[in-house]
Amino acid sequence: MDSFLRTVADQTVNGLVIGNIYALTAVGLALIFGVSNLINFAHGSVYLIGAYVGWVAITWLHWPFVVTLVAVALSCAAIGLVIERVGLRDLQGSARIAPLLSTIGLSFAFDQIVQLAFTANPQSFASPLPDTRWQVGGVTIGTLDVLIAAISLGVAAALFAFLRFTRLGWALRATAQDRDAAQQMGVDVNRVQQVTFALASALGGLAGLLVGLYFNTVYPTMSFQAGLKGFAANLLGGLGNVPGTVVGGLVLGLIESYGVAVLSSTYRNLFAFLVLIVVLVWRPRGMFSRERTLPPETLTGTFISNSRPVRLPPILLAAVTAFAVIIPVVLPDPYILQVLTNAWLLGLVALSVTLVTGTTGQTSLGQAGFMAIGAYSSALLTLRAGWPFELALAAAAGISAVVGTMLVLPAFRLRAHYVAIATLGIGEIVNQAILNWDSLTNGVLGLVNIPPASLFGIELVTPAGLYWGALALLTLVYLVQSRLLRSPLGRTWRALRDDDVAARAYGINLNRYKALAFSVSAAAAGLAGAFTAHMYTYINHETFTSTTSVLALTTAILGGLGNLAGAIAGSVVLTVLPELLRSWVDYRYLLYGIALLVLIRYRPQGLLGTD
Amino acid sequence: MTQTIAGEPLLDIDAIDTYYGAMQVHFGLRLAVGVGEIVCLLGGNASGKSTTMKVILGLVRPRAGRVRFAGADITGWETPRVIARGLGSVPEARRIFPAMTVRENLLMGAYLRQDRAAVSEDLERILDLFPRLRERLSQRGGVLSGGEQQMLAIGRALMGRPRLICMDEPTMGLSPLYVDRVLELIQTINRQGVTIFMVEQNANLALQIAHRGYVLQNGRIVLEGAAAALLRSAEVQDAYLGGSAAPAA
Repeated sequence: MDSFLRTVADQTVNGLVIGNIYALTAVGLALIFGVSNLINFAHGSVYLIGAYVGWVAITWLHWPFVVTLVAVALSCAAIGLVIERVGLRDLQGSARIAPLLSTIGLSFAFDQIVQLAFTANPQSFASPLPDTRWQVGGVTIGTLDVLIAAISLGVAAALFAFLRFTRLGWALRATAQDRDAAQQMGVDVNRVQQVTFALASALGGLAGLLVGLYFNTVYPTMSFQAGLKGFAANLLGGLGNVPGTVVGGLVLGLIESYGVAVLSSTYRNLFAFLVLIVVLVWRPRGMFSRERTLPPETLTGTFISNSRPVRLPPILLAAVTAFAVIIPVVLPDPYILQVLTNAWLLGLVALSVTLVTGTTGQTSLGQAGFMAIGAYSSALLTLRAGWPFELALAAAAGISAVVGTMLVLPAFRLRAHYVAIATLGIGEIVNQAILNWDSLTNGVLGLVNIPPASLFGIELVTPAGLYWGALALLTLVYLVQSRLLRSPLGRTWRALRDDDVAARAYGINLNRYKALAFSVSAAAAGLAGAFTAHMYTYINHETFTSTTSVLALTTAILGGLGNLAGAIAGSVVLTVLPELLRSWVDYRYLLYGIALLVLIRYRPQGLLGTD
Repeated sequence: MTQTIAGEPLLDIDAIDTYYGAMQVHFGLRLAVGVGEIVCLLGGNASGKSTTMKVILGLVRPRAGRVRFAGADITGWETPRVIARGLGSVPEARRIFPAMTVRENLLMGAYLRQDRAAVSEDLERILDLFPRLRERLSQRGGVLSGGEQQMLAIGRALMGRPRLICMDEPTMGLSPLYVDRVLELIQTINRQGVTIFMVEQNANLALQIAHRGYVLQNGRIVLEGAAAALLRSAEVQDAYLGGSAAPAA
């Protein structure tokens, strides 16, 4: 066999093996979406827990492999029940996006617990299986390849039989198709939902174990990537479509594998997210559905609960602002100033997310992408083109607005859950582009020696200077945004949040107004990113990740979505609180996760109320 | 008050108050359905008809009052438990499982039954009653016409061998041909011993097949009596049949 064909054959086997694991991960997401109409962001954490339980069982306890499989499935099923209970059932009757956000909170908490228990370092995971390799027509296949294929195909067959031939399987399908009607046939839908979560999570955990074995390593951050791959495979096959999702996983595995062979392995994730966006735009119901419209969603899926926002009197706002301005004079402690500078920058991003998510109703999990565009634009303009900081900063806001809006454009026809996933994917694409566009971004190494921020020739290098710089940007964006919200444009934005169908019936061009909202939002996030770049004087592809996006959204929710003063208050709380509890710094994300869960459950309107 | 039920009623709704948030829907609602009857509940939009159905099915919990069914107090029961007690439901807008076949839809109606042999017999019997469904047995429920879906919904309810079937607007959105067929069918089922409680907006048609009727207005029963009497009643004529014009036969 010539070497080209051999490569193709090897990559096909490779892609199918990876694809099987994606399928195993994604099938759980499909089941949960089908039954509960929820995109379970904690699914990646279940996968992570499965990997670590397996690692502990094999490496520490030396359990036999079959026992390990059972232990992983059972413990992850238990985690699934927790997710169902805390993330979903307790939230019945709240806004539709609430369970999605609470699964984000749960995943923060779970991931951090794993990291606290086993450190952030990757652990080596030696396979206990005999290392036999077979040559089949010039292709090498190992024991693990066979095992992975056997487990996922076996699971797929068992799942098919379960859904098609068992009473509970019928109940599950009926619940997925029409929950109320299923109840009126006597189906206990809560029980069906529990079974679904347990089953889905057991499968997700097994996938995590198999991946750990396949790459001989487990590490805490594998959670997030796995979740994203699962969404991609699931979307490819159609949300809630179980057989479609299996094929979606295999297709995704093959695309990645061939892509990596043609280009390089750093492109692996880029393919997954490009596929995700292409499918969302081309066939939002998955590759097996010819329909190009999304199923109708009765609520536009915002997190807006009816509440009366707390209106701060202007005199108080002015006093607080004045106090913030003089802090460096009265409290010239560099540590405090640094913490507060971070709070102002987070506040800037929270303002940007509260505009698109709170005011316009487009849940964005991609703000970090806009920050990264702003940061790299400004850094490159000063570094390579020699522009002065002020000009570069302004240009960065503009570039972020234009590029960011163009990237989000394909997501405009989507709603609710789909917008959240699409923006998450867009953020990841920006990240992957930065990683791979070496000639422009310097790839993994990042950009160093970025000139510090300056104003009229005076460099802002002292903590006080940086503090005032960040505060000035925040105040500027706050004033612009509150002016916009009081204008007719602001009213239109709220109209398309509250009822996009009615807004359209009034002749409002939705896309134009969404584009306007996203461009203002991306500009603000771009400013935050650019300022951060000049403050650190060093950035790389890991400076702005999806975790930042999720944190920004959490902040905006904490303050009260759509509420500008709330967004800033939220960022002060989330930045200062972990610092006050100094010993809690290791638990930071656990804290964020719990804060998110508690808020959604007990005060969904946020600290200052939604606006 | 006309009380025409002999013996204990199969379904007895007593002094129900229902609220959606702060808005009160039912004000001391009372009605009863005797064994073997066809009883219809009439009323305009927002009179509380559909909510009455939801209260019986356990989908909405009343704040006060009692619902008794088949000798048990079912107030506040979960829906599956009410169904297990012998209640069948033909929901508003039919609510067929669109991706399940006609056969699977029918068998879902027998979800709570354990007697497999009898279920197969019932399936045959129901398919004899609905020859149209037999032709389409392996097609997906979602591709049936509105009238066929209504037949399927009724057949599905029958598969549970219920003592009482609650039907929410069974003629809504059907062609005139199917309206007649559905009404005939309801009478046939009733003659076979199934008690029927139906909510209808089409008072004229409903009263032609019902034994008794109740008229609901703003959450209160304002009129009740034998169907024939209601059909002649000036009030019902005014409210639902477009003035004093004689009902079309």
